[in-house]
Amino acid sequence: MQKTGSRVNFEAVLANQQGQSRAPDGALVARMSAGDDRALGELYDRHESMAYALAVAIVAERADAEEVVADAFGQAWRTAPQFDPGRGSVAAWLATITRTRALDLLRARGRRARALERAAQAGTDGLAAPLAEMAVAPDRGAEQQEATRFVRRCLAELPEPQRRVIELAYFAGLTHTEIAAELQEPLGTVKTRMRAGMEKLRGLLAPLLAGGGA
Amino acid sequence: MTDHRWLEFAAPYALGALSGDEQATFEAHLATCSTCRAELQALRDVTGLLAHAAPDAIPPGGLRDRVLREARTLRPLGTRRAAAVSWLAAAACLILALGLGYGYLRERAARDQASRALATARDALAARDSLVATLLAPDVGSAALAGAGRPPSARLFWSPSRHRIVIAVYHLPPAAAGRTYQLWAIAQGKPVSLGIFNTAPDGRLTAAMVVPPDLKFEVTAVTDEPAGGSAQPTQQPFLIGKVTRAD
Repeated sequence: MQKTGSRVNFEAVLANQQGQSRAPDGALVARMSAGDDRALGELYDRHESMAYALAVAIVAERADAEEVVADAFGQAWRTAPQFDPGRGSVAAWLATITRTRALDLLRARGRRARALERAAQAGTDGLAAPLAEMAVAPDRGAEQQEATRFVRRCLAELPEPQRRVIELAYFAGLTHTEIAAELQEPLGTVKTRMRAGMEKLRGLLAPLLAGGGA
Repeated sequence: MTDHRWLEFAAPYALGALSGDEQATFEAHLATCSTCRAELQALRDVTGLLAHAAPDAIPPGGLRDRVLREARTLRPLGTRRAAAVSWLAAAACLILALGLGYGYLRERAARDQASRALATARDALAARDSLVATLLAPDVGSAALAGAGRPPSARLFWSPSRHRIVIAVYHLPPAAAGRTYQLWAIAQGKPVSLGIFNTAPDGRLTAAMVVPPDLKFEVTAVTDEPAGGSAQPTQQPFLIGKVTRAD
């Protein structure tokens, strides 16, 4: 795992995660709170790839994903004064908003069944980026690319059953009971895998996590 | 602390994978347990990075303009007061609550809001013991309170045997100067005050209140009242919900 980490520019990524790079995300959010919509534009430019990719991964339809992203940045704009840097990075905040909006839309359209179908079809490749896709689309900023590559590599290091339950929860919005039914596994097994997988990820991702010197 | 039985809830909670009941129970626990809050915070940081695992998708060019155009139609929060909800809207909401019954509590739209609010709850909780005991009482009933729009919202837990309720409020700006929020039990159509409260600057509150021993109620509501509270509501309720009994 140390080998995995050594090729990543942690300082740049961490600076970005913690909003300490030259023009920190946190400063943009502060400007947004003051009603500066150019700051929203800048924030969008930095995180559009992450937000849009996440929305597509959840809702599948591109038109829906666009709606999700527009809603999510609208909510970020509206709730910028409530952003608390102590609770995590701006990127994580945007990801949470985007995922929530995407799952809401899925439910509102009665599409959970289809999401489940997709989850089933995705099979062992999972819903997240296949391992072959380690190459990251060039439109992501350099720091974003580092983070993306690193997260995908860490996820790929999980045993497949652990990765699968985490993906079904995160990208398909399933509860652990629903995951157990989907995988036809005992609930206890799903719970154990979920916890073990998250704890392992936590260790692997430590270099990216604020204050994470692991 | 690995034998702490609640810790097994943290991973599924961070992933939004608990059922409505489990979620509510764990949230109640979180409000009182710093070990679980720390564990959850660490796992939420992990969850925050999972978005990077989504397969690449190139956003369409016009999306940036749409985002900025739509945002310009919205005002940032904090620049307006929560508008009073008309009786009609409150009634519609109550009908909704009655119609959906317990399923309403499971409304997952509130999930992330609630988790964010409670995971980092730093409120000094006045009566911790009674709060936890109330939440874990076998006869605890609950209600989800909502208004016409999205936020604010609240959850109420009521233990008839212990004559106590616990209320958790989210996304409610603190009451204006000279005003307070008041929680009401509606018993056979008549409002009975359960207590007054105010939220922290971050819009949250978790508090325990005493219920008069013989009071049985089915509906609960929150109004905005003059400081000190009122004997009877002077405003339309802006949050209202139906209580679902445990039995």
